[in-house]
Amino acid sequence: MTTATDHLAFGSLTPELTVLQQQVRDFADEVVRPRVSRNDQAPADDFDWELVRRGHELGLFRLVIPKEYGGLGHGVLGVAVALEELAAVCAGTALIFGATLLGQAPVLLSGDPRLQSRYLPLFNAADPVLACNAVTEDLAGCDLLIPENAVHAADVLSARKVGDGYVLNGRKRFITNGKVAHFASVYGNLVGSPGATGLTCFMVPLDAEGVTRGPVADKMGYRACLGTELVFTDVVVPADQVVGGEGNGMVVNIQQMNMARATVAAISTGIARGAFERAKEFAGDRVQGGVPLYRHQFSARKLAEMSAKIDAARMLYLRAAHLADTELPAPAYEPAAAKLFADRIAIEVAEEAMSLMGARGYLREYGIEKFVRESFGARIYEGTPEVLALAVTEALYAEEDDDF
Amino acid sequence: MAYFRTKEQAAGVFAHLFTILLSDEQFTARMREAGLTLRLVQSKPDVELYVDPDGVTVDAGVDKAVINIKMSCDTAHALWSGRLLMPVALATGKVRIRGSVAKVLEFVPLLQPAFDRYPEIAARAGVAAA
Repeated sequence: MTTATDHLAFGSLTPELTVLQQQVRDFADEVVRPRVSRNDQAPADDFDWELVRRGHELGLFRLVIPKEYGGLGHGVLGVAVALEELAAVCAGTALIFGATLLGQAPVLLSGDPRLQSRYLPLFNAADPVLACNAVTEDLAGCDLLIPENAVHAADVLSARKVGDGYVLNGRKRFITNGKVAHFASVYGNLVGSPGATGLTCFMVPLDAEGVTRGPVADKMGYRACLGTELVFTDVVVPADQVVGGEGNGMVVNIQQMNMARATVAAISTGIARGAFERAKEFAGDRVQGGVPLYRHQFSARKLAEMSAKIDAARMLYLRAAHLADTELPAPAYEPAAAKLFADRIAIEVAEEAMSLMGARGYLREYGIEKFVRESFGARIYEGTPEVLALAVTEALYAEEDDDF
Repeated sequence: MAYFRTKEQAAGVFAHLFTILLSDEQFTARMREAGLTLRLVQSKPDVELYVDPDGVTVDAGVDKAVINIKMSCDTAHALWSGRLLMPVALATGKVRIRGSVAKVLEFVPLLQPAFDRYPEIAARAGVAAA
């Protein structure tokens, strides 16, 4: 029998991914775990470069990059499996690596050898290189994710065509890795296009003149990774740094999200697993009424429900990640459904774990309260439940065309 | 307006294109090394190409290859001509790929000679520019 802690033992992973999973699990236990509390309680703008360096040495920034460019070629499935392992110990650490995948995704999807040979080999350098994805703005969140909303988007970062390039002006908010990334995929609206109807994806090195990294957001969870403002003031971007052509930013962004949602579902699954593992241990050790807690029917029911939910979430994200690795365009339904479910059960399982542990669940030293705080994070980024519900139902009612 | 008048015209252009790629020893070596085969299912006109390191076969009757690509001949024409960008073609569903995405991504850089030669091949076959 496989269980939530003996996960992925049902034979669906390749031998290479099984090795990767064990490597990342060891890394999470030996390198991440001892630093979790410190990184969680450090000032908001503190960043653990040593931890990042160790993850880089393991190859966590190049999991999805093709071998052709010095990557490990593990695909979205490899990223997802690795991120569950990291998130079971620290979701904020997992997102440092996950957000880099997001920044890499437009380059991967571009099919453009010039962009790929410029950006992808960077991740194989001696020093760690991070990337980020700059979409969200102060007045535009879902309006930049839902095509029907694009016309209503307000005050979007502008891209003015000048000669053989573009000049970017505007401000991006809540950009994970923005403070520390080498480059960003930046979405700007072409001057003259209403709302975000001219949204275009640009690859922008963050040391470019006119880029300012703003203050770090002081977040409730995910404190190991930094969410930052990025301000663009007359930033000149050459035309060959556009991904997918002018005005096609929304379609590139949707593809990128469909790749990324499976990996975020894996992070939520990891959060649930991390919380569950602590509660399971506690319920095995804690004796009340002469027997361990898990022998009491109410507690047993809770543990059984938690374990089943984690298993189900894992199967959904594995399916979604597998499809993202074998279908282009990446499917919309499976990643959205996986994320919708996993984000919800992360909150439910973390809350139940806290409940099972009683007063100890409320104390920092037992680590459960961090899982509770972080369980709410993934419900926001890469699609809220409301946005995911639209993606799921749109897919449910889409006309099927498949003899392929 | 459809760019290709007949199946034979489309088969000739796209088979020629892949024959050029296969004449590059580095390309075929990489195909063999990766165990790569390619099945192109194109419509309007309907034509199916199967590509492996040994050559290109039209209507080979092969059900699955390592990479399977489905699109119309006009979409293929626009892509190879550089008038349609792959991210847009994928996102709008004009091109659908089944198979190992990692292998697709690894082989993209090796396709450059085909992009360079395609306009000339299409023009010689009497296909209007995209």
